[in-house]
Formats: sequence, structure tokens, C-alpha cells
Amino acid sequence: MSAERWKEDEDLLSRLRGGAPGAVEDLLRQYQGKIFNLAMSILKNESDAEEAAQDVFMTVIRKVDTFKGNSAFYSWMYRICVNTCLMRLRGKRRNDTVAIEDFMPVFTEEGMHASPMDDWSKEVERKALNEELGKMIRKFTEELSEKYRVVFVLSDIEGLSNEETAKILGMTVPAVKSRLHRARLYLREQLSRYLQEGKME
Amino acid sequence: MNCKELAYLLADYFDGSMDPNLSAELDAHIAQCEPCMKFTKTYQTTCKTASQLRESIEYRIPDEVRARLASFLISAARKYPEQMEEYHRQAEQERSEKVQAFCRAATEEKLSAIAVLLVETHCATCPECKEYFDNLHRGQGKVANHPPRIQEHVTVLLESLPPGEEFFLA
Repeated sequence: MSAERWKEDEDLLSRLRGGAPGAVEDLLRQYQGKIFNLAMSILKNESDAEEAAQDVFMTVIRKVDTFKGNSAFYSWMYRICVNTCLMRLRGKRRNDTVAIEDFMPVFTEEGMHASPMDDWSKEVERKALNEELGKMIRKFTEELSEKYRVVFVLSDIEGLSNEETAKILGMTVPAVKSRLHRARLYLREQLSRYLQEGKME
Repeated sequence: MNCKELAYLLADYFDGSMDPNLSAELDAHIAQCEPCMKFTKTYQTTCKTASQLRESIEYRIPDEVRARLASFLISAARKYPEQMEEYHRQAEQERSEKVQAFCRAATEEKLSAIAVLLVETHCATCPECKEYFDNLHRGQGKVANHPPRIQEHVTVLLESLPPGEEFFLA
């Protein structure tokens, strides 16, 4: 985390604690996109994510006095968000995820790549991040089971360090790394297949 | 090193945590193996593309959601100074109830494996909690009136549980 962001958070925190005018507006401006997005990526449903975001910010406002500052403010908030969303998911049917194993790279007995490999990196970089590609990444991410999804969203999309993600999720760093790597391998394979299909049309 | 081993080392390769010698071994393999070169490049592009998504995210929150969130929270916050006391009382009560439930579960040996582990690790360095929990196991502790120090420590234990993880056995 940059020193600047830390400073901003410290400032926001003390204004929230003091009930300063405009503090809640600033909290929202700064974090509603991130929290809503994180909630969306876990709950995959707009109205659920909205309710969860509301709960998260209410909890933040209510508990801001008891926040001890032994972790960064935003990682405390992300943790509240993950908690709120996972509680909401409980008891819900979730059969709309894909098996990650079906998208892992395949190797021969000698440990060589078993399928032909296509290099589409230039193609994607040329296109930069267009809307269509962004949409596909979202779709593929949503199809991951939440175990991988949450880690991937926090680390690769939100850009948190593995240590921060581990702290938020109460996992060990090696466990975060291994899930993250599998999620990336999955996404790489999904993108490969998607771009391949585009070529055949 | 074969392609399979290489594929499973890529995360370390890119996050800079890899031993330079091992990293050089990967470089050497990639340089003479076309499939791995392609695989590595597309893996890296996948990560890069995902991180680019971050910038476009802020715009994805629909305007009406943004507006509803703002109006709800700002009106809730306006009442905040008056309700501060009430919020504190509620938060305090929630915590106290949670700690009681935790201690009750400990007495009835209904703590989840991870919670048991947390208690054991903590008690190894905290004689006060060790005594309290030992008494609970012997059926001599008071769940309802736990000392403030215990409350404080158990609260920390509860906070270190992974999100969405309950402390009791289902």
C-alpha cells in the first residue's frame, strides 16, 4: 500500500470517528465501487450485492470506534465485506460454478504439454482491454467456485499483496498463492478457448 | 525440469519470490521449449489483463445503486451522533454474547477444530485464559460473567477466525 493511501485512510478514519460532516460521503466515494465490486464477485447478483454493500458500510460506521488499527483500514473493510457476503451465501444453492480441474493444463506422462499451444498474448495486448474481453473475464471469474474467486478478485483484480489477501481471508500465504495460481491457470485456459473460438468463426 | 513442473512454478516466477538459480533454470527451459514460451506469455498476459480490469471497475456500480447507497448511509450517519451510544451498546452486547456463546461451546466441547486450535495456541502463552478455559472444562467456570480480560482475548480469537467460518461444530 502506498504511503499516500495510508495517510488518506488515516484521515478518513479519524473524521469518521469524529462524525465529521462529509466523512460518510468520502467513505462512499472512496470505497463503494470496491466494496460493491467485491460483493458482486462473491454474490454474483446485483440486488444481493447492493444489500450486502449497505450492510458493510453500516457495520463500518457502527464499528469504526472499535477498529483497532492492527490492520489497514481497507483490509478491515474488505474482511467485513467477505464475511457479510459469505454469510449471505450460506444456505443458498450454488450449482452454477464450473469444475476448475477441467481447465488445468494437460501434460503427457513425461510432463510435456499435451495439447498444442497458441500464443495470443500479442493479440490481447494490442486490443488493450476492450469491453468484450473485460466482460468475458468477468463471466469466467464468476463461474469459478467462490473458494478461488475471492482470492483471485482480491489479489489479481484488486491488486492486494498475497500477505494482505491471506490476512483478510484468514488463510496462510502459501494457500493463497496456490489458489491464486490455479485461478490464473483456469482463466488462461478459458481465455485461450474463447480466443480460439473467435478465430474459427 | 519438465513443462509440468514449470507450469506449477509460474506464480513464484512472476512475483519475484523465486530463488535466482531456480529462476534461471526456468529461463533456460523456456528459451528452448516453444509450448512453454507460449504458455508463460499467455499466463503473464492473463494476469496483466485481470489487473487492468481494476481501472474499469469503478464505473460498474450502477448509478441508481450508487444513489440509494448514498441516501441510505448518509441518513443513517446523520443520526449517528445521537445513536453513537446506542451503537456502542449494541456492538458491546453483540461481542459479549458472542464470547459467551464461544465459552459455552468450549464447555460443551462443541468448538470447531479450528477454534480449538486457536484456543490451544493462545492458552499456551496466556496463563490467565488457560486457567479460565481449564476451569470451564472441569465445569467450574462461569460462562455468563467472564472477566473483562477474557472477553478481550476471546474477541481477538474470534476475529482471527477465517471469514464465514463458525466457531462451533455444525
